[in-house]
Amino acid sequence: GRQWQELPPGKRKKGERGSGFTSEQIEHLHRRFRQLSRDQLTIRKENFDSIPDLEFNPIRAKIVHAFFDKRNLRQESSGLADEINFEDFLTIMSYFRPIEMNMDEEQLDRFRKEKLKFLFHMYDSDHDGKITLQEYRNVVEELLSGNPHLEKESARSIADGAMMEAASICGPDQVYEGITFEDFLKMWQGIDIETKMHVRFLNMETIAHCY
Amino acid sequence: MHPPAGPAASPGPAAPPAGAELLRWQWQEVQVPCLVAAWILVASLAKIVFHLSRKVTSIVPESCLLILLGLGLGGIVLAVAKKAKYQLEPNMFFLFLLPPIVLDSGYFMPSRLFFDNIGAILTYAVVGTLWNSFTTGTALWGLHQAGLMDPGVEAGLMDFLLFGSLISAVDPVAVLAVFEEVHVNETLFIIVFGESLLNDAVTVVLYKVFNSFVELGPAHIHATDYVKGVASFFLVSLGGTAVGLLFAFLLALITRFTKRVRIIEPLFVFLLAYVAYLAAEMVSLSAILAVTFCGICCKKYVEANISQKSRTTVKYTMKTLASSSETIIFMFLGMSAVDTSKWAWDTALVLGTLLFILLFRAVGVVLQTYVLNRFRLIPLDRIDQVVMSYGGLRGAVAFALVILLDRDKVKAKDYFVATTIVVVFFTVIVQGLTIKPLVTWLKVKRSDHHKPTLNEELHEHAFDHILAAVEDIVGHHGYHYWRDKWEQFDKRYLSQLLMRKSAYRLRDEIWDVYYKLNIRDAISFVDQGGHVLSAAKLALPSMPSRTSMSESSVTNLLRESGSGACLDLQVIDTVRSRRDKEDAAMHHVLRGSLYKPRRRYKASYSRHFISPDKQERQDKEIFRQNMKRRLETFKSTKHNICSSKSKARMKEKGRKKKDISLTSDAPNGRTHRSVPWQEAAPVLVMVSSEEEESDSSETEREDDEGIVFIARATDEVLQGKATPGSLDVCPSPCIIPPSPTLAEKELPWKGDQADLAVYVSSETTKIVPVDMQKAWNQSISSLESIASPPGIETGPQHRRFACPVLEEQPQSASQAMPEQISCFQFPSHVSKSGRSLSDSSPDGVEQQELQPLMAAEEQGRALPPAEPRRLMFSRASHI
Repeated sequence: GRQWQELPPGKRKKGERGSGFTSEQIEHLHRRFRQLSRDQLTIRKENFDSIPDLEFNPIRAKIVHAFFDKRNLRQESSGLADEINFEDFLTIMSYFRPIEMNMDEEQLDRFRKEKLKFLFHMYDSDHDGKITLQEYRNVVEELLSGNPHLEKESARSIADGAMMEAASICGPDQVYEGITFEDFLKMWQGIDIETKMHVRFLNMETIAHCY
Repeated sequence: MHPPAGPAASPGPAAPPAGAELLRWQWQEVQVPCLVAAWILVASLAKIVFHLSRKVTSIVPESCLLILLGLGLGGIVLAVAKKAKYQLEPNMFFLFLLPPIVLDSGYFMPSRLFFDNIGAILTYAVVGTLWNSFTTGTALWGLHQAGLMDPGVEAGLMDFLLFGSLISAVDPVAVLAVFEEVHVNETLFIIVFGESLLNDAVTVVLYKVFNSFVELGPAHIHATDYVKGVASFFLVSLGGTAVGLLFAFLLALITRFTKRVRIIEPLFVFLLAYVAYLAAEMVSLSAILAVTFCGICCKKYVEANISQKSRTTVKYTMKTLASSSETIIFMFLGMSAVDTSKWAWDTALVLGTLLFILLFRAVGVVLQTYVLNRFRLIPLDRIDQVVMSYGGLRGAVAFALVILLDRDKVKAKDYFVATTIVVVFFTVIVQGLTIKPLVTWLKVKRSDHHKPTLNEELHEHAFDHILAAVEDIVGHHGYHYWRDKWEQFDKRYLSQLLMRKSAYRLRDEIWDVYYKLNIRDAISFVDQGGHVLSAAKLALPSMPSRTSMSESSVTNLLRESGSGACLDLQVIDTVRSRRDKEDAAMHHVLRGSLYKPRRRYKASYSRHFISPDKQERQDKEIFRQNMKRRLETFKSTKHNICSSKSKARMKEKGRKKKDISLTSDAPNGRTHRSVPWQEAAPVLVMVSSEEEESDSSETEREDDEGIVFIARATDEVLQGKATPGSLDVCPSPCIIPPSPTLAEKELPWKGDQADLAVYVSSETTKIVPVDMQKAWNQSISSLESIASPPGIETGPQHRRFACPVLEEQPQSASQAMPEQISCFQFPSHVSKSGRSLSDSSPDGVEQQELQPLMAAEEQGRALPPAEPRRLMFSRASHI
């Protein structure tokens, strides 16, 4: 691919509009993107292997997966992308923006839904719009994989318990076939996700100093 | 509470006693402890009185009431003794009353929340307190300079700064007392409360520095003294924190080795925390910081190490101590106020102080929040700021500090004392009274006190990992990155060092939550076992009892098709689907309460070990019987961790009860029946302690072989039962259905004695515990009152199997039945469940046909709920 030298201003503008980042943030993200992609136009899954800190993350596979999930990339089709470009990268990052003071109710709601959708897509690994028990079990297994003393069966029963709990919230019928996004939203009622799913750096304009 | 006057001198050897005394009046010798006890008793009784009226306590915070009570008592003491006695002594306050409160708040501090907001808390605690002290002090000085104050107030700038430092610190005791009742959202609470705890370091330093400045006199203060003041701030705060951390480490390490002396485990917690407090106080570091951090940091490891019982003991003792300290503090605050000898009133000073502390706190909060919001993820909005400004209550710390002032050095001490008392009273009473309406009026986001759910915990963990990963990917070492790193460090080294091997192995937060939820379910179930009849509170150990129970929850659905004897007529009106629960609970109670120890345990007494006494054994057995029910459907999966096998299994089993159909392989009734449930016996012992396992598994097994309460139904009774039972699907709890419905599957007495239909015969009434007899009779009579049409299906066959499915394959009945239980099905089972559900829907029709047979009254009540139920069926059969 073409060597990245500088982010073209047009692209920067576009990214700014699309993702709500400031140009400094975009610049920083772009630098990081180039670092990860080794100055290629796109990032492939393998590029994420080069991040040492990620190694210990029990659900790293799921997270990396989410970066290539076409649903998260706001593309029409579903499935997995082989590679993502910088705009896609920005799109993914925009899920982690913090809320802003001047957001109204409607915006907050949309914001919240977007974040939840990201999580939902991460759980729904077969892209059928439902989190089945098996998928949920997989997630829990991975979450617990950090502890070698807990066996898979334990994870499984935790997942089962959680699923029962979900069923008690959403009503049993839906859960037969898996948790749909609507159910998922119901499960999150009363829990402020907007206070949780943020990465602070995206709020700070001084970020460029880190590099 | 008078300062101990030293052991009272025994009546001198004046006159040799006239002879051997029968009794001797020894008031002198017991005076001090007796007075202490009496005051505590008075305060505690007062608390009871306050809480007699819900109305009063819901409007007026307890702290206000206590202060007012103190005022009253002080007045009485003053009138009787002609002088003010029993004042709040600074020494007593700092050495005995304050530590329990601080320890309690540190130990039970939601540490995650605390550290998530540590930036804001520290800002408000340090910058805020400094700002408040200096502005208040300077403004008061300005007021004095302007000549608005009484000339009797002899004070210079340093005196006012000293006063400002002690009056500006938000008081943890007062804040906690008021905010606990207000229920603002947790972020707001932790910020105000955290600030009140952490500002201690600033207060202590400022107080000491200004105090020494005042004593030195303004002329002798050098520039180096200011530098020293700043340096001492860091020393006092960081030193206090370090002391706290050191003792937290020690405490955690010690509890790692208390395996054989469980009985003194709680003592270590209190002792070491107190020693931490004293040690910090000794070297004049911030003692509050020391205890706070000791509590916050040791908790995780200590809780993992000590036994369940010790945990409960620690919790209750700590709460008791803190609560009584708080009570006494407020009461004595009130009593101290009547001592007019300390008072010197100056209106300008009092009003000025009140105005300035309110004004400058508000200004300070707004300024700091403005800066903080640029960095915070979740900005604090205006309403939060109002509550934070208004929630800055002053309390006993300020009072104790002002009393400690030296009258010779600080000439205006009396004025300061009076002002402090007024400020404390004003903030605690006026602000305390108005903050609740204010919070309501401003519509401050309240905390929703929902219990943690498993899903929430899972998602939160997922979040943590996602956020850490995103920070990794973006290459920014932010908060999540460092938290992640800390957790890894903790997991690898710290936990390994400070936790028992057994505890460390199982250490996983998700697992913990899961475990706790299960235990809580079980315990609450057992607890309620004794009060089956107060049906309103009754809840099955099921997930919905935790989450807000929606009407169509799975477990509800399960219960619907379940059976149950109605033990209380009022249930019919209140809850639609309690039959099954009732049934389970009733049986549970019968088995539990009717337990008669088969063996006389030797009366044993040990100071060092609490041997499970009879009552405890009985409890245990009751508990086990509950567990047994839950374990019932457990299929013999061997999926547990080596050492903690049984512990884990218990949870597994517990869960399995609800999840039978969730597990991929079909639940096999035979298998689980073949699993002798005694296997689970050691489990329950494991819950509380590890070392009991060997002996108890033996004896308990034996116990279990003893009386098992099986009321064998006579044919006659059976029929009586069976008849109404044919109305199986009718949701009215009054009906005991004969079919092997869910409940029966779930219930313990079905599983292991599949051949016995266990119906509680009317004979059993005799052995029903007294408190239940009335209701029991009621239920029996309610059963009898139901018209008894000839059972559609009678006989033993009918008893067990109502469903066609099951009749087709009676041999594998038990295998099929669990299937039927679970309406919670996943694709692999969908077809089957659909079938069994639709199979049972004829029952619905049946029920309709039979309904005319029911007593009119019964019918009226039963009908409405019947509708939703049928709906559910049709929904289910779509699958």
